[in-house]
Amino acid sequence: MRVVEIPRYLDDKGLDAVATAMGTWPPEERLLFDARGTTWSSPYGFVALLTAGQALAELKAETPRLAVPDMEEVRSYWAKAGFFKYAAEYFDLVGKVPRRAADESSDVLVPVRPIRDMDDVHTLVEGLGERVSRMLTEELGIAPSATPRFGMALSEVCQNIVEHAGTGGWVAVQAHNWKKRAGPRVVVCAVSDAGIGFRRSLESAEARKIGDLWGDSAAIEAALFRNVSRYRDPGRGQGLAMIKRYLLKWAGKISVRSGTARLAFVPEWDDDLPGVDKLSFFPGSQIMIVVPSQSGAESKEQSAKSKGGR
Amino acid sequence: MVLTIRLNDVLRDAIQRPVRDLVTRPTGAAIRFRIQQAMDATPHPTARLDFGDVGLLDFSCADEVVAKLLRDTADDRYVVLWDLDDSQADAVDAVLERQNLAVVAVLREGGPVVLGAVSQECRTAFTAVLEGGGDSDRLAARLAWTPERAADALQTLALRRLVVAAHGTFSPLPLQ
Repeated sequence: MRVVEIPRYLDDKGLDAVATAMGTWPPEERLLFDARGTTWSSPYGFVALLTAGQALAELKAETPRLAVPDMEEVRSYWAKAGFFKYAAEYFDLVGKVPRRAADESSDVLVPVRPIRDMDDVHTLVEGLGERVSRMLTEELGIAPSATPRFGMALSEVCQNIVEHAGTGGWVAVQAHNWKKRAGPRVVVCAVSDAGIGFRRSLESAEARKIGDLWGDSAAIEAALFRNVSRYRDPGRGQGLAMIKRYLLKWAGKISVRSGTARLAFVPEWDDDLPGVDKLSFFPGSQIMIVVPSQSGAESKEQSAKSKGGR
Repeated sequence: MVLTIRLNDVLRDAIQRPVRDLVTRPTGAAIRFRIQQAMDATPHPTARLDFGDVGLLDFSCADEVVAKLLRDTADDRYVVLWDLDDSQADAVDAVLERQNLAVVAVLREGGPVVLGAVSQECRTAFTAVLEGGGDSDRLAARLAWTPERAADALQTLALRRLVVAAHGTFSPLPLQ
């Protein structure tokens, strides 16, 4: 059995460590995901871990084991986030799993839920509209009239799963402080699927044009920065472009990981790299949208301007 | 005369559930199909799509409902969007802009505007038509433009079905 240690903080960077620890794909032996020392997970971590479990199930690999966090409050939070409810379908859970149900009424959390078809997208948007709106208004100071735009982004990014992945995926939304609770207050929407990934999805439309440089990074770049779609319909390929348009207004961030690459649209307040290649392979695609507190973003922008003026 | 289509009613008919949000491509396609059926069955040349009770409109649905409807609508038919909020107008504007399409919309807070890909020249001419139609000479005088410049802008608006052209005069689309 191969032990995959889950980092103390499971976020987008933490996932890179998980992918490395998973080794070759498909794995040659049964995996044990060891989260005993994990003290915090972003929604990105939750949906990505479920994706790993789902991808292994779809490969008909032996059911992986997942050792749950040692800390009771961490386990409790993971249960509140709805993680264990679905993790039980894909992992043999090892350790004490709280019985509490996902918190469907929290103001700071949209629990993990599956996105398998367009009805799930409808249900998500209809059911979460007011809650997400309240989170954006109260947590981030976004004007109520502008909050539907986050719902539109959520809808588009979830439709991507149904239209392009070829299998189901997961979504979760959460408000927390960026960078291990020391950065600005943010709302993070994380979407992950166990599907074919950007490279295979766009291969027929783009690979020949790009030639030898075609790969995960080129595919994400085509979708995220050139609005390329595998469909010839002129109305296609605009979902990510429109999300970027809103994120620009909010000084937000979008990050896409697929296969062995991750590209991001990075705002001033974050220090992420715009592109990382040659990562360890992780199945499917993961998209993260981050919207920061508007007062925080403004003060950060003002601070950057004043530094530049010196 | 105008055919008014309440999109929320069409949505509920298409989805068979009490929903308010216009999201996803299949939903948009189902709604467009129903709109096209209604337009085919009416003698009225103008269809007014009422967004009144609609909640969220995502880009995919805006593309399916509005952009594809405009592309598929016969030249003698007109479409007006009615009672859109800011985010709905934003979604429509973005998808039309990308496909070089345009439509007349009456915003919930504001008057008629053109959404989509239209030059500033045409927007100015559109506003002049709203303030009082007429032939190109009259509009040219009102805008202090040359007659050729006014005629060019008005013809463009008429070709894109943003104003009605008849017997050498240009008038706003009927909104009521």
